[in-house]
Amino acid sequence: MRIPCPFCGSRDSREFVHRGDAGPARPADGADAEAMFDYVYQRANPAGLIREHWYHAQGCRNWIVVERDTRSHAVSGGAWPGPAR
Amino acid sequence: MAEPLILHPVDRPGIATVMARKGVAPGTLNAALGLSLPDGPGAAFAGSRTAIATGPGTWLVLDDHAGADFAGRLAETLAGIAAVSDQSGSYLVHALSGPAARALLQRGLAIDLHPDAFGPGSAAISQIAHIGAVLWQVDDAPTYRIAVWRSYAESFRHWVEVTAVSLDEADQGG
Ligand SMILES: [Zn+2]
Repeated sequence: MRIPCPFCGSRDSREFVHRGDAGPARPADGADAEAMFDYVYQRANPAGLIREHWYHAQGCRNWIVVERDTRSHAVSGGAWPGPAR
Repeated sequence: MAEPLILHPVDRPGIATVMARKGVAPGTLNAALGLSLPDGPGAAFAGSRTAIATGPGTWLVLDDHAGADFAGRLAETLAGIAAVSDQSGSYLVHALSGPAARALLQRGLAIDLHPDAFGPGSAAISQIAHIGAVLWQVDDAPTYRIAVWRSYAESFRHWVEVTAVSLDEADQGG
């Protein structure tokens, strides 16, 4: 599997660490335990497209976001999480 | 006939990471460093100095003739515009050259080194035989420089030795 790093270009997936769903957003300070539980543990596990965090550990050492189809492992995209740099 | 493969350690270059501070234009760093920093994957050379782009706004800067205080002096030069940290003790840099160098590296590196894809001034951060490495091409000999963590240097040299033996005649010709 190849992962498109926005800095390094297309690289073998063995250079990366897979973290998982990039969707959940951390609740605001003071949110209740249930909101934190959902954020930390609840995942949709879709059959289809999912936006994921990958860490380019054996490359530029940056976190990136890619889109993967869980049915085919087809990967597309490759962008920085958060604001442009 | 040229020696097919030459491997030697680069004698104690000064090595430091340079990270541009927020909002600082790369041009500001260029003037202070005396070279034009690459803004994507690649290497820039100026005299004894080399800069490798290692990520957005970050570079590995090396100087072949710098003393032990290289990073300290660089930090003074770049005060206020970049963060500098000494890497002289963490990396060991090897020069690998000769017509067989490309074929040898391709036995352990999943980056396309074909001249159409990778030439002098190209650089990549990846792994060679599972050893984390910063690699860049210096000239068309071809000569590559490879920085690996110091504690992996012996493993890297061992891998080069055993892999060189396995190269066939076609590989020796480059
Ligand atoms: Zn990368």
